[in-house]
Amino acid sequence: MAEISETMGTESSPPEENRKDNSGSSNFDDKIMRKTKPGLKRLILTLTVFFSFLLGLPWLLKSIEIYRSPLPFRDIDSLSNAIDSNPFLYPCRFHLVFVNLEHSTSIRSNAENLGFLISSYMLEYADRNSFCGTCDGNYTISVSLDSGDECVEYEDADKGILWKCGALSGLNFDQTVENGEVFDDYLQSIVGKSRVYTVVVVNTGKGDRLRAVVGKYRHAWIIGRVAEINLLAETVAEMFIKIFVSGAKDEGSIQGEFMPVGADGKIVLSFNLLNADPRDWIYDWDIKEVDEKLLAPTLEALGPIANISVESQVLYHTPKSSYSYWDDEHESHIFSTKDLPFFVNSNEWHLDTSIAAGGRSKILQFVVYVPSANECPLRLQLPNGDISVTNGFISPTWGGVVVFNPPNCMENANSMHPLRRKISSQEVNQIFEVFMAQLRQLFGLKSTGFYKGASGTSILLASERGFTEWELDALARQHACYNLQQCGTTLGSLSRLVQSLPRMIIKDEIGKQVKLSLEAAKLTQDNASQGIYDASAVSSRHARSLAEDAFFHPSVMSISYYSFDHMFAVYSPFFLPLSLHVILAVVREIKRYKQESRKYAAWEAIRKQHSD
Amino acid sequence: MARSLSFFVLLLFVLHVSSESTGEVAEQLEGEEFTEELLLRPLPDRKVLSHFHFESKVPPTNSYGHHHRIFPKAIYQLVHKYRIKEMELSFTQGRWNYDSWGGFDPIASSNAKPPGVELWAVFDVPPDQVDASWKNLTHTLSGLFCASINFLESSTAYCAPDWSFSSRSGNLRYGSLPREAVCTENLTPWLKLLPCRDKAGLSLLMDRPSIYNGFYHSQRLHLTSDEFDPVALHGIVLEQTLTIVLQPDALDTRASFSSSRKLQPSWSMSSLFGKMVDGKCALAKSSNVYVQIEGSLVHNMKDTWNNIEGYDGEIAQEVPYEGFGSNSNFKFSIAPDRVMKETNSFHKDGYSVLYGFAINHYHGSKPFDLGFWWNLPVTWSCVKAPLRVSRFLMGSGNEKGAIALSLQSTEWSQSILKAGKNEEKCNLRVDVFQVVPWYIKVYYHTTKIFVDGMPQALEDIIEKMSVSPSEDKVSPGVMELILRLPCDMKSASLTLEFDKGFLHIDEYPPDANQGFDIPSAIISYPDFQTRLQYKEDNASIQSPMVSKMQERRTVLSYTEVLLVPLTTPDFSMPYNVITITCTVFALYFGSLLNALRRRVNEEERLLKSKDKRTGKLQLLLSKFLSKVRGKPWEPPSSTPPSSSSKFISSKVILKILLVAAIAFGWRYYDG
Repeated sequence: MAEISETMGTESSPPEENRKDNSGSSNFDDKIMRKTKPGLKRLILTLTVFFSFLLGLPWLLKSIEIYRSPLPFRDIDSLSNAIDSNPFLYPCRFHLVFVNLEHSTSIRSNAENLGFLISSYMLEYADRNSFCGTCDGNYTISVSLDSGDECVEYEDADKGILWKCGALSGLNFDQTVENGEVFDDYLQSIVGKSRVYTVVVVNTGKGDRLRAVVGKYRHAWIIGRVAEINLLAETVAEMFIKIFVSGAKDEGSIQGEFMPVGADGKIVLSFNLLNADPRDWIYDWDIKEVDEKLLAPTLEALGPIANISVESQVLYHTPKSSYSYWDDEHESHIFSTKDLPFFVNSNEWHLDTSIAAGGRSKILQFVVYVPSANECPLRLQLPNGDISVTNGFISPTWGGVVVFNPPNCMENANSMHPLRRKISSQEVNQIFEVFMAQLRQLFGLKSTGFYKGASGTSILLASERGFTEWELDALARQHACYNLQQCGTTLGSLSRLVQSLPRMIIKDEIGKQVKLSLEAAKLTQDNASQGIYDASAVSSRHARSLAEDAFFHPSVMSISYYSFDHMFAVYSPFFLPLSLHVILAVVREIKRYKQESRKYAAWEAIRKQHSD
Repeated sequence: MARSLSFFVLLLFVLHVSSESTGEVAEQLEGEEFTEELLLRPLPDRKVLSHFHFESKVPPTNSYGHHHRIFPKAIYQLVHKYRIKEMELSFTQGRWNYDSWGGFDPIASSNAKPPGVELWAVFDVPPDQVDASWKNLTHTLSGLFCASINFLESSTAYCAPDWSFSSRSGNLRYGSLPREAVCTENLTPWLKLLPCRDKAGLSLLMDRPSIYNGFYHSQRLHLTSDEFDPVALHGIVLEQTLTIVLQPDALDTRASFSSSRKLQPSWSMSSLFGKMVDGKCALAKSSNVYVQIEGSLVHNMKDTWNNIEGYDGEIAQEVPYEGFGSNSNFKFSIAPDRVMKETNSFHKDGYSVLYGFAINHYHGSKPFDLGFWWNLPVTWSCVKAPLRVSRFLMGSGNEKGAIALSLQSTEWSQSILKAGKNEEKCNLRVDVFQVVPWYIKVYYHTTKIFVDGMPQALEDIIEKMSVSPSEDKVSPGVMELILRLPCDMKSASLTLEFDKGFLHIDEYPPDANQGFDIPSAIISYPDFQTRLQYKEDNASIQSPMVSKMQERRTVLSYTEVLLVPLTTPDFSMPYNVITITCTVFALYFGSLLNALRRRVNEEERLLKSKDKRTGKLQLLLSKFLSKVRGKPWEPPSSTPPSSSSKFISSKVILKILLVAAIAFGWRYYDG
């Protein structure tokens, strides 16, 4: 082809043209001019082929397209941005009731600006601990002054908080100091079931120090002589921030990422009774009763935070894998805290994952270890040399272990037949009290009954459900926040992954899950801004589990997407030679057409000259 | 007064104790139970069968709750999650030798399993959810037992038998993986289901090297539950058995018998397993070892006794070892605690005997090591299945073939014949259940039956037949047959022709050249019930294993696994095919395009002008071409070729550069 077009100019023109040429004009040069119009036939043909290929290309791409459900990338980005930039704040409402029974004027005059004092102290505290799930600055404080006969309400914003005036005037406060539970219930009946944290300060004017007690609902009380209003304000502010908002957590205690809640919002509490050597004794327990009586209320209380199920098993031949030594002073076998990492014998303790639980549920193992006869009174020695009272320990995110020493260790040492015993219900109750404390610790709460703050110590009343209402509030807030963060990062990773692999199949189901997850996240934020803690915890759990479901969808894991190289290898043997042909043909035909039309134009010009 | 008071106190005490003990007994009765048992049986071919039987029971949930002391949590959760009514899972290595190890006793019928993994389960769910439950169950089991049971998930791997496999059809699913290798990683999770694992009790004997060195190894898990019945009575019963056939290292026999070569090898537990039992599992309700002596062996021993010792008849009627006499054919190192005799023997001349050993009072310093010593040589043969079954492939090549199932009568069926002579016509019912993967396309209409080499009409022999043909890539082919064979036949065979299908390239396993397995067929004889009824001195026997033996069971046997070689493609073939077809198409299309835009006149002119100046090479080329075309050669006009050829080469270089640039660009923007 190349030769043809190239030699066209040098060679003679067609014979018929020559004839015309000879007859027509004398100065006709067939190298640079021609008499007929250049034909369009072949040009049109090649162009048609070329354009039909161009038109066919989208069709081809469509046919080899991989189905990708459209994901709301923009919503995901906005969610993760929203979570990163402003962690959502819960509105917290605080109420201070100052019952002044001592009618000295100095206190009375200062009480009026108590609200301002408290908020300034609270700002100070809030700066020091601001983590996810607090009401960082987003709070309202209302103050009620009750001096027995007249009441003054200083309210910031909320009219909904009411204090029944003179409700406490008839009480004998010496008795209430002794019996906190009764006063707690009495206060609850006055305050009612609102989401307001109330601190009742009763200035009796007697005694020399203040006694601060936190109840099991959403209120606390301080009783005693209020000497200085500033100190009182500081104490109250600390109570609000450190106890009610942060849940009285220790510094550096378990934070969000170590929360023992599975990605699908479920926890399985697996209780295991391990008989180290059944040849010595075989212990059994009545876990059914414990499950119904002790655990059920707690699990119900923790309902908004996680969906908890309970299972149990008794295992045998499960020695511990650490060493213990005999100590004459304590008359028992001692294992120390530095042996704890090796206590759990993962080879022999086949605690197992649960079939009943889903793949992403969290399993918390609680182990009652019954030592064998040759290590019988087995006790844990604390680093300070004392013997542990609970005789147990926890391992964060794994669970807890309690060593149960059978009474009368030496009794059955050399008997042929093992002793079959049942752990008495009293002992079981003791063990489960320890387990409850361990569960609280695993959730990052205090297991002791008091809180030692900068401005004095407060007594924390324990709930029979294991978790008090203000603790549950704090947990719900933190979980909601942490879940939402996780949801945001998971969805963000998913969107990054999907965008980085353009040839990955994305099923509709994933798109649906992402959509639902985003909706649940939005609901969480709405609930949070309205201060409905438990509902926001529930919906945040939904959001997170849906996001995880989408991310770990089996189709994402499959290798069914093939690379672009593969496509290149399959289609290039056909399209590469073909496109060369088509493109070259088009280029040449256009070139030739231009050349020929130039020739024709030249002849036209000459002819015009002649005719002129 | 004082005396009466003390008496009263004593009475109270006694009452208290008795009430306590009865309470404990009651608890034992209604609570969970675990028993461990081991059956040892000398086999005629100098091997020893050892059969471990562990059984855990749990009462129904609605009366007992869901917290357990002994019953494994994993199995309980499995039953409840998938609502399993009955399930059996077996891992087997080796093939049960029906001829020499017996085909009629309960162990052969229920514990001789096909090689690899076999799983069947009955679900208590609506029929439309059965498949989903099955799929989830396979995944859970594969996680639980570290095996690739999840390959049974695909609908091509399992089937729903219509009626032959079990009476509870509909919700039953059956699947098997003939090529699954079985090893310790499957045994360890299985042992984890036992309360004592292999730390104490009889499972202590399971020394991995010795049990995996055997000739046959089958671990089985069978569970039945009536949890979902409206009136649950039994709860869940989990039966775990491990059946091993071992070759004992011949112990140094003390008896210097003249024909000691013929003497069966004596063995002990420590020589078989390399371990001893130091005490029972503390959790086990009972822990027993049994030694079973088959009926024909007992019979033959009597004979040898009579021959050698010249015993008079009445003593020979006694069971050997009944009086723990030392001059019997064999003796134990430990005196048996009890002897049980079979009461309903098929063989009139011999009844099998079961020697029981309780290991309750053995412990670490006094381990239990049962020895079995032969004093006199004796030969015997096991009770065989009614028919000797084998299945094989016929035909050659990669296109078609035939499956043949051959049934040969054994001495057993001969004896039936004798028994049934007085009837007009004696029939032997044989049920066949066979699953064939879809890529073996069986033509069921080609079924032929030969009895004693003579072709028979199908309707004469087949009483009932149900076939669900395979559907490509969807379901396997299932064939269920009831055959009525005449008793007096010597052999019968059934052939089915098949075509070998083609698999998609993705469906080939990694070792496709090895061939594909057709799972074992199940042959059962519903006319025959295996049942060993034992009796111990008029007392019933409280042993789950023995009561299992006493259950009525249909005699069944498994055939061999067939290995079918299929055509395996060259796995790079698709790319080659794509490349070559694409190139051909591109060539065709390119030349078509060029032909379309050819200007014939111009080219002719060009040729003419070219003729004037042709080089030597072109001259030669045109000469050659014309010769090829068969045209008279015209000397071409000379054209200076140098410029044009140079132009061509530069163009070619340009093209190559263009392609390279496109490729580079592609990679650059793609990467």
